[in-house]
Amino acid sequence: MRVSFWTLVSIFAWLMLIALLVVPLGSVLLSSLQDQAGNFTLGNYTRFAETPRFRAAFVNTLIVGFGGLVGSLLLGSAMAFCMARIEIRGSRIVSLLAILALVSPPFIGAYSWIVLFGSGGLVRQTLMSWGIFIPPIFGLWGILIVFSFKFYPYVYLLASGALSNINRSLEEAAESLGLTPFQRVMKISFPLVLPAISAGGLLALIHSIADFGTPRLIGRGFNVLATEAYTLYSAEVGSNLSMATTISIVLIMLSMLFVFGQRYMSRRNVYHGNLINKPVKKKLTGFRNVAAHGVVYTIALIGAMPAFIAAIYSVRRTSGPVFHPGFGLESYRRILYNLADVVQNSLMFSFATVALIVTIGTLIGCLVARKMSVNTSLLDATLMVPYVMPGIVVGIAFVAAFNAPPLALTGTAAVIILSIFIRRLPYSVRSSASALRQVSPSMEEAAISLGYSPARAFMKVTVPLILPGIVAGGMLSFVTAINELSSSLVLYVGSTATMPVRIYIAINDGDYGTAAALSTVLLVLSSTAIYIAFRLMGRDERALL
Amino acid sequence: MSYLAVKDASKQFGGSVRALDGVSFTVERNEFFTLLGPSGCGKTTLLRSIAGFADLTAGSISLAGTGLDSVPSHKRDIGMVFQDYAVFPHLTVAENVAFGLKARKVPAAETAARVAEALATVRLGAMATRLPAALSGGQQQRIGLARAMVIRPKLLLMDEPLSNLDAKLRIDLRDEIRDIQKSIGIAAIYVTHDQEEALAISDRICVMNAGRIEQIGTPQEIYADPRTIFVASFVGTMNVLPREAASHLGMGPDVESGRAHQLAIRPEHIRLDQGDVAPDSIRLAGMVEKYTYLGREAHVLAQTPAGKIVVQLADPSPTLRMETGSPIPLAFRRQDILSFDSSGMRLEGRGN
Repeated sequence: MRVSFWTLVSIFAWLMLIALLVVPLGSVLLSSLQDQAGNFTLGNYTRFAETPRFRAAFVNTLIVGFGGLVGSLLLGSAMAFCMARIEIRGSRIVSLLAILALVSPPFIGAYSWIVLFGSGGLVRQTLMSWGIFIPPIFGLWGILIVFSFKFYPYVYLLASGALSNINRSLEEAAESLGLTPFQRVMKISFPLVLPAISAGGLLALIHSIADFGTPRLIGRGFNVLATEAYTLYSAEVGSNLSMATTISIVLIMLSMLFVFGQRYMSRRNVYHGNLINKPVKKKLTGFRNVAAHGVVYTIALIGAMPAFIAAIYSVRRTSGPVFHPGFGLESYRRILYNLADVVQNSLMFSFATVALIVTIGTLIGCLVARKMSVNTSLLDATLMVPYVMPGIVVGIAFVAAFNAPPLALTGTAAVIILSIFIRRLPYSVRSSASALRQVSPSMEEAAISLGYSPARAFMKVTVPLILPGIVAGGMLSFVTAINELSSSLVLYVGSTATMPVRIYIAINDGDYGTAAALSTVLLVLSSTAIYIAFRLMGRDERALL
Repeated sequence: MSYLAVKDASKQFGGSVRALDGVSFTVERNEFFTLLGPSGCGKTTLLRSIAGFADLTAGSISLAGTGLDSVPSHKRDIGMVFQDYAVFPHLTVAENVAFGLKARKVPAAETAARVAEALATVRLGAMATRLPAALSGGQQQRIGLARAMVIRPKLLLMDEPLSNLDAKLRIDLRDEIRDIQKSIGIAAIYVTHDQEEALAISDRICVMNAGRIEQIGTPQEIYADPRTIFVASFVGTMNVLPREAASHLGMGPDVESGRAHQLAIRPEHIRLDQGDVAPDSIRLAGMVEKYTYLGREAHVLAQTPAGKIVVQLADPSPTLRMETGSPIPLAFRRQDILSFDSSGMRLEGRGN
């Protein structure tokens, strides 16, 4: 029998997963089970369990994870309820602000909060001059505030989608059966949106656990597993790869545990709303109206605040790292003269990543959607693994795997591109598979019955139909790729630094002007990509998750 | 030699599920042939095998004298109309119809003429430049029909083309399909689970059940002379009574020498006995259990010694009252009773 095209795709997909996922993860696991001399040992894990510093980091990771989760749930579901059920003026602007919060990299958030509430922060200084003392934002509370306002859109977007899809008849039925409005919310609406809320919460939790930039910049001694792993890996003296990989394994286990926990919790709670009787938005008056608007706008504006701060500070007059009164374009000039290569790197890496993701993701997506078999469902399940891998772990894993021949890739652009590629691939596969499932198979059969060979039918009918979705997906991948910090930070060398890496370094050096200007460039690029994506596939904020 | 011949077609899905079990039939040129059956009876599988979208486990299909078994579906020259229309949403109405002509490299001028003609036939001439999304379901299915016809295929297949449309439109479009098929003179195979639609549209009907053919015949044969209990009860309404009812129906136990397992009679063959029935009628006393008024007809569910029987009254008077529990005398003729053996086969020919 002739080997079919899809068999080749399947073989290729598995080889790729082995090279970019199994080998790196295997190397991490192997390295965590070896002592310095290379002998098998469980010593790293016992050391992890016994060392107070690591135990503290483990507990801290759980604290920021669940803290971020709770904060995002509170902010996200409050906003979701208001936006889905109450008439809010300028609701389009509010959801744009939520998108802005979502796409601005977390370390920009950390930086902006430092600018306002750090030791010398603008707001803090002003309050102090009025005699009001607030502690600087550094430490646990700072991290939690940043996480909550950064990750609430996950909960908001999923929950508001679910809330506006509840069949109104259900709530009316409950009302006609004599339930009070409060009982109705608790017994009908809440259980129906719970799966969406928990899915959004899970995203917030996983991102909080995985985030490296925020605790690093704002934690000031409050260490989590991600920062410990990076410290151990990057220490100039006594770099300890096997301890870093041990922590990586612990981090992966944690993420997996939460993913499967959420799956288990909401395993039976899949509701398919029919959209016959959509809920209408209520118009509030008086105090309640003001309160609802207050809640929505406060959350949205604070969430998007980092982006505005970055934009404003990017045009402040500077000389070197010092801000002066007035405005000027010195920061951008510095980017143009000194950091053009960084911008160029970021753009090149991102375009290369997107090209890879779009082609390979679409092919695998087609395979998963069209050729149902044990093989493809296994492929689909394996692809979920990169989804739960924190960036810092991917970085360390790639170092562990590709440091020596036959695949000595560390220090190259390829290793950065591949690391972003493998992390984003699950999204792309899922989105192209779901785009393909929207196209009825009878569409292709119609073309075949009209005289087109299966391959030509696919090209003439299916491809044009899924193309907008694929390009839009590519644009959203571009946003992720260009904002990626943690794995690049582990993998970069001088010549392959990217914008996020350079921003991180600039903030650490106190060069806030440069950081703000680079951040603004990042935000503009991300916004452009999102604008194109929304133009192509219709405005759908949830595609960003 | 028949135009289309399906021989011993069998299809087995993984394990022991037999979607098709030794199905054979032929279709002539110009014939409108319908596959009728409940969902899961194998009719769609059979249609897809003819189109080439599904492979048979065993059996053969030939069209116009050539075997189709090794011909890939895009070279079979068989037009197909789909249940979900399968209209290409990214192409205009005219481009949809021209799609198959492009594959055949028909010159542009001829394409334009044929597309215009096909669109006129399905009464969509004014919509040529529109995108399908702006059209109703009925209009979309007309595009599907025009698109399949315009390539002048050897055979036209229709897979429940009307089942997604509302009732009134279904009847209009069904007549249109029938007229178009006759005017262009093409062999058509039509799949449906709607027995009324099958009766209205077909030259011949093939009733299928559980992967097998129950009966092939004209609509009249299928309705009036069902060969199996399945056909009798699937097509139209049928009162099915157990053998124990025989004595109440004027049939002695000697009738059918005890082989009769089930007895059946159509509701329209039972009359209310108002003293005007034929002398050789069999009379049966009943009691009204339910009266359903439907306008041009009414149904009475009567409790009788033979069991529950539905009686159809044609053109019921609007003033007619049927109180539950009131006595109702029924009458029918012996030759309208059909009897079936324990395997569901008809025992004797129709009495008249």
